[in-house]
Amino acid sequence: MGVELTSNLDSGNKTGNNKTESKKILEMRGITKIFPGVIANDGVDLEVNVGEIHGLLGENGAGKTTLMSILYGLYRPDGGEIIFDREKVEFHSPGDAIRAGIGMVHQHFMLVSKMTALNNILLGYRTPKDPLMDYEWARKRIEKLSKTYGIEVDFDEQIINMSVGEQQRVEILKALFRDVKLLILDEPTSVLTPIETERLFKALRRMSEEGLTVIFITHKLREALEVTDRITVLRRGKNVGTLITKDTNERDLARLMVGREVEMIIEKKRKESKEGKAVLRIEAVHARNDRGLPALKGINLIVKQGEILGLAGVSGNGQKELEEVIVGTRKIEKGRLIFNGEDITDYGVARRVALGISCIPEDRIETGMAPSLTVEENLILRDYVKFTKNGFMDFEVIEKHAEKLIDEFGIRTPSPKVAARTLSGGNIQRLIIARELSRNPLLLVASQPTRGLDVAGIEYVRKRLISFAEEGKAVLLISEDLEEIMQLSDRIVVIYEGEIRGVFEREEADLEKIGILMSGGALEN
Amino acid sequence: MQIRIEKRLETPKIVYIIIPVASILASLLFVGVLLLAIGVNPLEAYGVMLSRAFGTKFGFTELFVKTAPIILTGLAVSIPLRAGLWNIGAEGQLYMGAFAASFVALYFSPPVIVLPLMVLFGLLAGMAWASIPGFLKAKFDLNEIISTLLLNYVAIYWVEYLVYGPMRGKEVYNFPYSDLFNDYAILPRFFGTRFHVGVIISFLIAIAIYILITKTSYGFAVKIVGSNPKAAEFAGISRKKIIISTMLIGGAIAGFAGMMEVSGLHLRLRAAVSPGYGYTGIPVALLARGNPLFVMVAAFLFGLLYVGGSAMQTTFGIPVAIVDVFQALVVLFIIGGDFFTRYSISFGDKGEKYEGEKG
Ligand SMILES: Nc1ncnc2c1ncn2[C@@H]1O[C@H](COP(=O)(O)OP(=O)(O)O)[C@@H](O)[C@H]1O
Ligand SMILES: [Mg+2]
Repeated sequence: MGVELTSNLDSGNKTGNNKTESKKILEMRGITKIFPGVIANDGVDLEVNVGEIHGLLGENGAGKTTLMSILYGLYRPDGGEIIFDREKVEFHSPGDAIRAGIGMVHQHFMLVSKMTALNNILLGYRTPKDPLMDYEWARKRIEKLSKTYGIEVDFDEQIINMSVGEQQRVEILKALFRDVKLLILDEPTSVLTPIETERLFKALRRMSEEGLTVIFITHKLREALEVTDRITVLRRGKNVGTLITKDTNERDLARLMVGREVEMIIEKKRKESKEGKAVLRIEAVHARNDRGLPALKGINLIVKQGEILGLAGVSGNGQKELEEVIVGTRKIEKGRLIFNGEDITDYGVARRVALGISCIPEDRIETGMAPSLTVEENLILRDYVKFTKNGFMDFEVIEKHAEKLIDEFGIRTPSPKVAARTLSGGNIQRLIIARELSRNPLLLVASQPTRGLDVAGIEYVRKRLISFAEEGKAVLLISEDLEEIMQLSDRIVVIYEGEIRGVFEREEADLEKIGILMSGGALEN
Repeated sequence: MQIRIEKRLETPKIVYIIIPVASILASLLFVGVLLLAIGVNPLEAYGVMLSRAFGTKFGFTELFVKTAPIILTGLAVSIPLRAGLWNIGAEGQLYMGAFAASFVALYFSPPVIVLPLMVLFGLLAGMAWASIPGFLKAKFDLNEIISTLLLNYVAIYWVEYLVYGPMRGKEVYNFPYSDLFNDYAILPRFFGTRFHVGVIISFLIAIAIYILITKTSYGFAVKIVGSNPKAAEFAGISRKKIIISTMLIGGAIAGFAGMMEVSGLHLRLRAAVSPGYGYTGIPVALLARGNPLFVMVAAFLFGLLYVGGSAMQTTFGIPVAIVDVFQALVVLFIIGGDFFTRYSISFGDKGEKYEGEKG
């Protein structure tokens, strides 16, 4: 199928970007990269035209980052060749790639947090007055770039005080400052709010107009369709097709990406009645964050039986602290927590687990599991006391329990005895969901439950959340993904700087209103 | 040819066996070079070591006598290590155990209760000594490596002060010794050698600890804390309790080792109760990766070195310090070898198959 689609393209003269038709800036041929046990890239061909925004789409683990890391000189390929700007190249380090005119903004930023944006941009760069730093010259140059592409940054602010979106803009300017011809962005939108995403897309379009070429990595179909000229889809390390964006659609892309039909929209049926017993009542809760600053400033919330309550908000506005307050790992300064009629404010974590409070934590790997322990051990991580006989672990029951859950929740693992660290992100998420749902809880706090998951993984997690709520249980869904909140929630609340800024029934909620509240704005009536 | 270093996701089990074995061999090789440098044939020297330990009844029982305290200190390091803590203080805990047991032996009566009380006080003193860094770590996150290490010196000098001063014996001339214990304060011995009952107890303790940390829910909680403290908190496990309790158990075992050394071997309190067994516990725990069954095996290796070390001294005039050199080398190689658990290295030209070719 891939061949067919690609050849379609070659013969066609309706390339996405008219002015630079068929002038290639990059050709990767037969790129192969093998990691122990996985073929991350399997003979991948990729052609990118000058001045286009080229989407690189694929599920998690499809090999997108690996392919681009090879181009950027981070990995050496096991096979294949790269032609950049009409020359065959072989990069031994990112330094080589940068000199040749390639810039890359990674999924995880690589900035020095205690330095200003300006210094970060200049890091390792030789200004004309080298060895002296010519700040005047640099500042002018950056300001010009900033204006040209509409990328605004406070140059004298330290990175540590910046939002993730702003940090990303620093990274982009850092690359542009080095006169790149090709800019690679690895899943840039995964950390952005909807508004920031829009701004980024505008900047990308400006770059394209100025003749810059952009490779935009994503696993979100809608974004790929919105901003790119052409899209290359990777599946399991192979190029399964390069398509012209305006000639394709979500459904086809999803099918290419996953290799089967996918349900694109999963919506929760509305709850029959608006009434319902309150499972969790959060009353005027105050709490501080790790740095000792107020993070929750008098939160009031009720989560009812049979409903999914969506908590919308940009990361860092108190969601993580709220999650921890409910789980019991963070102290409450003021306020009360009532669970099922019982005041649990002073209860420890284990007691809350036993009462039926489950949680898919935002930090799955940092908090949700013990990576060096086995899959079966991780499946009893929070209930291990239940799996003992007179203080001794009951290994037989533990193994049976693991086999049952692996089967029921479709966790892909070679055996229950391998280290959980070796599972893919989607399977780690399944493991955690399996563990948290297996104790048959009354409340599930699901924090960013689909972040970083691929289309199939998202489909799975959302279905699970819905069926759980439809059993009459309660879900508090904490998510930055507004679309997810809109599709799944019965009611929606918005959190901003540790305060609840708005409560909506789903039918009265709209993206725009919520977006405004999420970024601290007020609604006019 | 090109050497490629890549991060591993999963470490093959065999690596965990190769690293300790290779570390030991490499250390033997290095020590061999040192021996050559001072004009001793290393093969001959190692030969003397082995024949001393395995050639005579005395040597063979000595091997066990020296292995026993190393098993205990190896455990004293291993248990906190499983929770992610470095107990460098087994030496000090051992000294405090020796002190407390000696105090009971010299000043308590009636005779029937002395030996049990010596055990009890030895355990408690080791625990008390380990509780200080444990508490400081749990409460103030004070680095346990530093606090345990420094407390060693306090304990060692405390015992030295006692045997030079208040506890010095009446009939020991100017030696830093206390008086000999009475018979009822001495552990029974067998075979007409120094092989005492403490040796057997040491092995039983190792097996008990093995069961504790691999089969019980407490052991599971320790493992979670050692693997990911945040996940432990999420699982409702109190990290502080685990920190303090593992230190207490480790301290108690080291304290028992101190009791055993004075009551089974020296028969009195003296300066230099231990030639550094507490520190030997560190490479032992590392070689064993914190597994008590392997601690017994690794302890034998070092027991052999101590027995053989004194033989090398008498035969070739090599200072016993060579044992310390060996110990330090093993630690270095193991820590260095850890690299291979996280990275794989392959050789081969670009474009070749992944398996590559050697050379
Ligand atoms: N350093 C590495 N060592 C071993 N396997 C890796 C490494 N980096 C990536 N992989 C594996 O290669 C595959 C592709 O990963 P990646 O390129 O990160 O995918 P994507 O960016 O599309 O999500 C995955 O199966 C991943 O587990
Ligand atoms: Mg990636």
